[in-house]
Amino acid sequence: MSSTSLADQMYEVMKTRRAVRTFTDEPVADDLLWRVVRSARWASNASNRHVHKFLIIRDRDKIAIIRSFSPGMLNAPPAIIAILTDQEAVQREQLQPGDNANDIDIGTAAQNMMNIAHALGLGSCPVTSFSKSGVATAIALPPHLTPELLLMVGHPQAVPRQLGGAAPKPLSARDLTYWEDAGRHEP
Amino acid sequence: MSDEPSTSTGVLMEEEAMQLIAFLVSASELCIKEPTYYGAFRLIDAASRLMGFMLQHNPSRTSEFLQRFKEEVDTKKVWMMFDRQAYFDFLQSAPAQVAAEVKRLADEDLASQKETPA
Repeated sequence: MSSTSLADQMYEVMKTRRAVRTFTDEPVADDLLWRVVRSARWASNASNRHVHKFLIIRDRDKIAIIRSFSPGMLNAPPAIIAILTDQEAVQREQLQPGDNANDIDIGTAAQNMMNIAHALGLGSCPVTSFSKSGVATAIALPPHLTPELLLMVGHPQAVPRQLGGAAPKPLSARDLTYWEDAGRHEP
Repeated sequence: MSDEPSTSTGVLMEEEAMQLIAFLVSASELCIKEPTYYGAFRLIDAASRLMGFMLQHNPSRTSEFLQRFKEEVDTKKVWMMFDRQAYFDFLQSAPAQVAAEVKRLADEDLASQKETPA
């Protein structure tokens, strides 16, 4: 495989991935969940600190309880991968309050998982709108583990958006890019 | 409380009510730090979740309305992310739909009372 085609394939995966919030009832095979979650291990990670853990949840009753405390989870997925901060690792690494690298590492791990999930034919959606104390208590997390992001994972179910013709056009990469000076969209 | 027999049936289990309470309390916490217009989204989504619970119990008088209205809510609530003006327009039009259903129920009850001999 040439490096160009690999880049094109990766770009295609990234470009066609969408936040999937509605899923079929089909369970996600453990092998697929493992392939998704292991990709998080290879996400960029500040100073190789690895202060996060990944909790895979497939039990439907547990998912229903989590969803109750997760207003951002619009539908119940067949699986959730919860990104947790290990506070013992945070202490070990002497992280200071306000160090946003922790948040960035959560994002890079989530993005790796969403891309690989899409490449595997799965849908996923990150959820941060949930009550951390509510979810942690409801699923009996030990005190040193803090839930940071809940990744919904499942087999996508198509839902037409039925947007009207006046809906805003999607932003392009050019819209978001400046060259050399702020406001300059051309090289 | 009236001794009159109710024409309505139970439409919510205790566990479902607790799930809804969990949702509302969690949404309250999130409203402290999330964009203000998310608050409207949480409320319309709470209405959707309540309708979902009710539909599982086949409510005798409102099933048809709930089915249709929930479907519309679930389609249009996510416009918040893609076409905010259309989403706000929907939020402004939604209460009238509920009001029409509430009025229909009240009219039905009134008609029923008139038919019942004193």
